Amino acid sequence: MRLNRRQTLGLMGAAAASTLAAPAIAQNKKIVVGALRFTSHSGSFIAVERGYFAEAGLDVELKFFQAAQPMAVAIASGDVDYAVTAVSGGLISLADKGAIKVIGGALSEEKGIDGQKILASDAAFKGGLTAPANLGGKTFGMSTAGSSFHYMGSKVAQAEGVEMSFKPLQKVGAIIGALKSGQIDAWSIVPHIAKPLAGSGAVHIIGDISDYLPGYQVTTVFTSAKNAADEREQTQDFLAGFGKGVSDYNSTMIDKADGDDGVNEMVDLIHKYVYTDRPREKAAPSIINGTMRINEGSKLNIASIRDQLEWFQSEDLVGKDITMDTLVDGSYVETYEG
Amino acid sequence: MADAEGVKHRQGDSPIEVRFRGGGFAPRSRRWVGVAVFVVLIALIQWGTETGWISALTLPKPTDVLATFGQLWESGLLFKHLQPSLTRLVIGAALGASTGIAIGVLIGLFSYVRAGLVPLVAAIFPIPKIALLPLFVIWFGIDEGSKYALIAFGTFTPTVVATYGAVDNVDRSLIRMGQSFGLSWSSIVRKIVLPGAMPGILSGLRISLAIAIILLVAAEMLGAEYGIGAYILEAGSLYDLERLFAGVVILSLLGVLVSAIIGLIERRLLGWRI
Amino acid sequence: MDIRLDAISHHYGATEVLRNISLDIPAGEIVCLVGPSGCGKSTLLRFIGGLERPESGRVLQLGTPPEGSLNPLTFVFQDFALLPWRTVKGNISLVLEDHGIRGARAKAIIDDVLNRTRLADFADALPKQLSGGMKQRVAIARALAVNPAVMLMDEPLSALDAQTRELLLDDLVSLWTRQPFTAVYVTHNLAEAVRLGHTIVVLSRRPGRIREIVSIETPIDQRRAGDPVCQQKHDLLWELMREEARAADEELIDG
Repeated sequence: MRLNRRQTLGLMGAAAASTLAAPAIAQNKKIVVGALRFTSHSGSFIAVERGYFAEAGLDVELKFFQAAQPMAVAIASGDVDYAVTAVSGGLISLADKGAIKVIGGALSEEKGIDGQKILASDAAFKGGLTAPANLGGKTFGMSTAGSSFHYMGSKVAQAEGVEMSFKPLQKVGAIIGALKSGQIDAWSIVPHIAKPLAGSGAVHIIGDISDYLPGYQVTTVFTSAKNAADEREQTQDFLAGFGKGVSDYNSTMIDKADGDDGVNEMVDLIHKYVYTDRPREKAAPSIINGTMRINEGSKLNIASIRDQLEWFQSEDLVGKDITMDTLVDGSYVETYEG
Repeated sequence: MADAEGVKHRQGDSPIEVRFRGGGFAPRSRRWVGVAVFVVLIALIQWGTETGWISALTLPKPTDVLATFGQLWESGLLFKHLQPSLTRLVIGAALGASTGIAIGVLIGLFSYVRAGLVPLVAAIFPIPKIALLPLFVIWFGIDEGSKYALIAFGTFTPTVVATYGAVDNVDRSLIRMGQSFGLSWSSIVRKIVLPGAMPGILSGLRISLAIAIILLVAAEMLGAEYGIGAYILEAGSLYDLERLFAGVVILSLLGVLVSAIIGLIERRLLGWRI
Repeated sequence: MDIRLDAISHHYGATEVLRNISLDIPAGEIVCLVGPSGCGKSTLLRFIGGLERPESGRVLQLGTPPEGSLNPLTFVFQDFALLPWRTVKGNISLVLEDHGIRGARAKAIIDDVLNRTRLADFADALPKQLSGGMKQRVAIARALAVNPAVMLMDEPLSALDAQTRELLLDDLVSLWTRQPFTAVYVTHNLAEAVRLGHTIVVLSRRPGRIREIVSIETPIDQRRAGDPVCQQKHDLLWELMREEARAADEELIDG
């Protein structure tokens, strides 16, 4: 191999830089992190952009998906190492097959922080569906049976002591269409989607999920069972890098630690990944509206996960013999009973 | 020839039996081979999953699929899923096939209809009907209407194409014979064109109905609580391979059943074929 | 009822097929049209039967068709044109149904024509079960069922083998002898023409014109193979046609 002078210098510079940045663990290990183009995945984007993964000795490739379901399958197949998604029947089923483990928490409902909204279609609202208590006999949208929408709707109905029927519509876009045209009566969704919909007058917000599921662990960090068991160091490195990204996100976007300039800078960063088909000035409000607090240190509400597992089991969506240990590896992050 | 026989025949070579070279290229009924392939394949999967050579993530155990099927049967869920699916299939396919045959015959009979509709049919044939599902939901409602429409639309186009092709292929000399005996236009259509097009229409139906079964799953993507398609989609999203395969097996059986029914109709209606 | 052809000419595109054909077809006689291939004899038959329209000239019916004739001009086709999905009986009833003849009346007609064509035992057979000769007999029975004024026979024996052809010729002769009918019989086979025709019209090669009209006085039922009069007419016809046939054979087919 022959190198000219410039290449040689470049190589030396790169070597020096990496030595300076991560003197302890300069393995530069290649891993793949799955993500959806949602603001709730900003932790990964920030950690990549600001070099937090590199500092942790990881060479991260982001792989984007259209939906959470294929991402979970990609983790099981070993194509993706780490990802963030909602707990669903599919996720539990894959854990049961020894393919994946939940290792931390990402998004959770908290009292006092804007969380997921319960929506009613305009037609249903005019017909008297003005509060979750009136959901009896109504149709509730969901992507598929065993999705988080199914869980939320079912829990709300249970708390109100009413019966609803659930309509599987596969995609969020289809659910929104069905809700707007009054084909379904109700749905629940994160606030940055709920609010603009309600603003248009086509749907109405009739309640908060947090009233029914306080501390609901909406999304979790998960990886393959093999990574969780055999790649402890790498997994810890990932969580460290991801955690720094999450910290930056929370402090800049929610606590406004760096003022408006900080927010603007963060919006620029996130806009590289989210709403890329819109110009920045149109994307910015959506990104800012979509801000939700992500769990610091990826701490995990184990009580909520248990409740979800039990619900899926009671609905006969997953095997009755699945235990929490099968689903969760609690050794990486702080867990709590919320 | 150096052997003893050859020496005796002084004219030259000993007689050689003509080598048979006419074998093959004649498909014959070997029904048990198909069954054997299934049995071997399933046995192999069973063995593989039991020894762990095939992971639980890759394929389910055939016995577990059977057990799932058994549970479906015992719990009565099988019919809870089959009944709406069969209803959708029958109504959707009947709508699509009957309008398809009607339009196909009109295209076959009238030049203006042909000139007007053939390009339209060619334009809508390659549209993946699944892509139109959200539109159908708005047009026909999220309940049964959109499901019937999707299946009907999906069976309609192949039926039209098969039907007008079949009408085109009706022996012109038979139609000329009908005219030469002064048969009325409607008699010629009813007694010559339609029966003559029947073989083509029925073989077109074979394809259309298979498409109808494929579209059943698509139709049940939106807003179906019960149905074989909904069951399969749910099993897929839950990554429950046993249920997924049980559902797929039901669809396959449905396909075999439909094919057998058409075979029966063919034997009854087309006994006149050579 | 007689048929008169009045100065018929016709083109297919740029190809002239028939030129100025005028001919009388008297009732009760068999007129054979012979000529080399492509001379337009089948086209002429379709003009007579009203299945095609000539460019110029007219086909005229002289007199009224006999009482009870359902379809005065009735074809017998070379390829039989039987509906394969109908039985022998069904194929005959097909041409009666449109005239509202059903039930006992239809059965009487069907039985009669099947007897006349010696098919009574095969009423319920499907065409696929029949030999070529029997199929053509069904087609003839079907033609007889509508009690035609004129039978238009388009090479009815050409699709059959030589023995069957011979047998069917005998059948046609005996049918005519028992109950004479008017027929225009198109053929390229001179032996058939000599055997059946009261009058034999020789057409020239394309464009078809009437080259010669030959009459044979010998009663049809007395003609035998090897009969000197017949043989002489046969030879005469062949002389007339030989050169035409050769020239027609060597013509390029365009379009």
